Amino acid sequence: MIGPSRVAELEMPAAGIETGAARPAQSYWNESWERLRGNRLGVAAGLLIVVLALVAVMAPLLSAVLTHAQPQTIDLDSTFARPGAGGHLLGADELGRDTLTRLIWGARVSLGVAFLTVAMSLTVGTAVGMMAGYYGGWLDDVLMRFVDMVLAIPAIFLFILMSILIRPNAITLAAIVASVGWGSVARLVRGEVLSVKQRDFILATRSIGARDSRLMLRHLLPNVLPVLIVAASLGVGQIILVEAALDFLGLGIQPPTPSWGNMLTNAQSYFFRSGSLVAFPGITIFITVLASNIFGNAVRDAFDPRLKS
Amino acid sequence: MTQPLLEVSDLHTVFSTKEGMVKAVDGVSFELHAGETLGIVGESGCGKSVTALSIMRLQRPGRIVGGKVMFKGQDLTRVSEYEMREVRGKEIAMIFQDPMTSLNPVYRVGWQVGEPTRLHGGWDAKKALSSAVTMLARVGIPSAAARAKDYPHQFSGGMRQRAMIAMGLTTTPEVLIADEPTTALDVTIQAQILDLLRDVNREFGTATILITHNLGVVAGMCQRLIVMYAGKIVEAGPTTDVFANPKHPYTWSLLRSIPRLDAERHEPLKPIEGLPPNLVDLPAGCSFHPRCVFKVDRCSRDTPALLQVGDTQRSACWVTQSGTELKGA
Amino acid sequence: MLAKYVARRFLASLIVVLGVTAITLALMKTTSGSYVPGIDLNPALRPEDIARLRTQLGLDEPPQVWYATWLWNVIHGDFGRSMIDGSRVTDHIFERLPNTLELTATAIVIGVLVAVPLGVIGALRRGSKADHGLTVVSVAGFAVPQFWMGLMLILIFSVTLEQHGLPWLPSSGAFSAFQGGDLLDRVQHLILPATVLSFFYTSTWSRFIRSSMLEVLSQDYIRTARAKGMSERRVVYLHGLRNALIPLITLIGLELPGLVSGGLVVEVVFGWPGIGKLAFERALQYDYTTVMGVTFFATLLVIAGNLLADLLYGVLDPRIRYG
Repeated sequence: MIGPSRVAELEMPAAGIETGAARPAQSYWNESWERLRGNRLGVAAGLLIVVLALVAVMAPLLSAVLTHAQPQTIDLDSTFARPGAGGHLLGADELGRDTLTRLIWGARVSLGVAFLTVAMSLTVGTAVGMMAGYYGGWLDDVLMRFVDMVLAIPAIFLFILMSILIRPNAITLAAIVASVGWGSVARLVRGEVLSVKQRDFILATRSIGARDSRLMLRHLLPNVLPVLIVAASLGVGQIILVEAALDFLGLGIQPPTPSWGNMLTNAQSYFFRSGSLVAFPGITIFITVLASNIFGNAVRDAFDPRLKS
Repeated sequence: MTQPLLEVSDLHTVFSTKEGMVKAVDGVSFELHAGETLGIVGESGCGKSVTALSIMRLQRPGRIVGGKVMFKGQDLTRVSEYEMREVRGKEIAMIFQDPMTSLNPVYRVGWQVGEPTRLHGGWDAKKALSSAVTMLARVGIPSAAARAKDYPHQFSGGMRQRAMIAMGLTTTPEVLIADEPTTALDVTIQAQILDLLRDVNREFGTATILITHNLGVVAGMCQRLIVMYAGKIVEAGPTTDVFANPKHPYTWSLLRSIPRLDAERHEPLKPIEGLPPNLVDLPAGCSFHPRCVFKVDRCSRDTPALLQVGDTQRSACWVTQSGTELKGA
Repeated sequence: MLAKYVARRFLASLIVVLGVTAITLALMKTTSGSYVPGIDLNPALRPEDIARLRTQLGLDEPPQVWYATWLWNVIHGDFGRSMIDGSRVTDHIFERLPNTLELTATAIVIGVLVAVPLGVIGALRRGSKADHGLTVVSVAGFAVPQFWMGLMLILIFSVTLEQHGLPWLPSSGAFSAFQGGDLLDRVQHLILPATVLSFFYTSTWSRFIRSSMLEVLSQDYIRTARAKGMSERRVVYLHGLRNALIPLITLIGLELPGLVSGGLVVEVVFGWPGIGKLAFERALQYDYTTVMGVTFFATLLVIAGNLLADLLYGVLDPRIRYG
């Protein structure tokens, strides 16, 4: 993937030493934002993600006033309740736990882990990519060979091994998934840095003796930002899928804490009793990932028009 | 006068764009006689390439919405797609501006040069290849038999254009349309390719339409020339007459913008003022009037037709049609 | 030239393989410590026997020594023995690998056969209903969790059909099919998992072919081809598709590691006795010789896939030079 730096470049005044010239011009951000707002499907998808995030945050409130059920409360009178029966809007599972309530609480896990993973991948990846790209030489070689290795391991093995090691909760699960995700971010950032580094304003800033850390944070980072925004918004959907798969395999969030993935592990055993137990968590994952992908594509198109398909 | 080989009359080709309908070719008429070389000159976007592509019916996504292209007794705008395929590459061949991208990168040059004879002559691969090699040698590719096995990226730009010309000639077409054949090439190579085109015209008797934005190219190559502006022909006539005494202010400005060795006195070179017109929103009246130094009131109201001005030339200009000479300014 | 290129790539790959296996071992070691499955918790074994077994298995040695020994043996074609059942790791891998190959190769072939025509149609009829439909399906394909799609297919084609007394497809139990089942039985078991996998490939590749084809069709050489007077079909398939397919090769090459990891979840859902399922189950049991073996193998596949894709690219695209 190529970064949007060239777009930024078009908007930038030729060469300048002060910070104003070192970052994509204001107009770039404004125009990108305008483009994003103009994409109605993208905006709708983004809003859906916001709503889901709100649902996740307000899970305790929602389960108290809306579904009148707690995610882990067992109710043997309503096992395998059909959708709509006995106040269970989406039915209940083998222990009579309300499916909608569990989906609402599961959103905390899925979205929480996804956002956390993205944040971790970006932080580590940006730091590594920037150091490799900025300093070059042997540090670049060592770091990038390490990235090659991380990306060459079939990711699922790494996840399996680390899950067994860590027995993850939401935070450590995010760390596990991010332990691979940072690699591609690092590659991306390094490439961007390499291209930005050669531009006049960086050389100029260096020539007046700015410190490395200042250069990286104040001059390089703003130029890498568009790539990061695009990578982040495209990454969320994929991470939700990976997380759900790990939960499903029993390697992620452990029952009885509900997650969209581990609800399906259970449902698998009761095919013959209730199909809706299989259908609803999957549909929830599908819609969420779909919205994330559509929003991610909209962000990419808005922030990097060259990549528009 | 003999029957023309190709007769384009009142051709209209349009493109639909977001901003509106673009009349890329707006009522163009001309004739091409056997064996002659006709130049079509104009700035980029004036419709000269679309005119050529429309003759071949390759103007997509544009649409031909009016006019006729008479060739050997049939109107090419009306024949079936199948019949058109029999004309393309067999009776009318076309070579394009950028030889670097006009050859398919994944097939060998000899294979591509021989393709028209396989398509139209029903030749087998071996015969087609040997004719391709002969033709490659003829257009000046050294050790043609070996080079025919090369891929396009192994050829230089000039050699690729030679290969394109060879590809056009394998079926000995009656018309060769060369769309800016030298624009993408170095100056020295340009001269070689033009020489080659002249030789081809002489040796094979192929009538040639040479499309270019470079008046210098036309001067040495074409007996007659057509000047296009904003989709219309603004001036037509024998090359020597047009050069000596242009009858349209646009031609006049073009000629003043190129250096001339034979100029009687050295006038300073003058670029044409103003921008090429926006085809979606053309000015009323004569499209050229906003940039014209000779304009009169009428020019912004009425569109002039292409009429006889002087003995040999035709021009679409109110000023010259009223008998005024273009001088000085 | 080419040999040199391959050699250099091979050397670089070697370093990657070493790194990957070292990381894997480090993880396994920290995960399980010196726990030996089937021995440590076996009340029938005396402590001294356990100690003797541990020494035999080399578990008392420091990790770097264990790794060096393991590597030395691997170079000699010996991946060691499973910690669970004592059988050779290579036996396990070679027993399971054909099953995985059968599944993924089927899925890849179906994927290509469906994706290429769909992508071409999408490109040729850009903006048509067919094109929009294709876009929707492919966007959906990116968002469907594979394991859930598997479960839904089982729910529909196995469970529901069976409940209604209709002919149904087996959802699992391919083990029996592999032990003497007839061809029909095998195919029946293959349908559902191959559908899931190929749906994913199709949705990715058809988009790819579409945009690749659109780009190719706008090239000058396509205009040249048309100007030669050939049929539109010849233009699209002979002059266009060949160019549009070249980048797809890379994509498929990158899918090779999916032989092991990509299919893992599908193998687990459908009980497909493949190499991914093997790795998954053995990892849960701390059988690290087996896991190391599979990981090593999978990494080799990643590298081989990349290299193969590069080489194929060179065959198909004469512009590529290896230097």
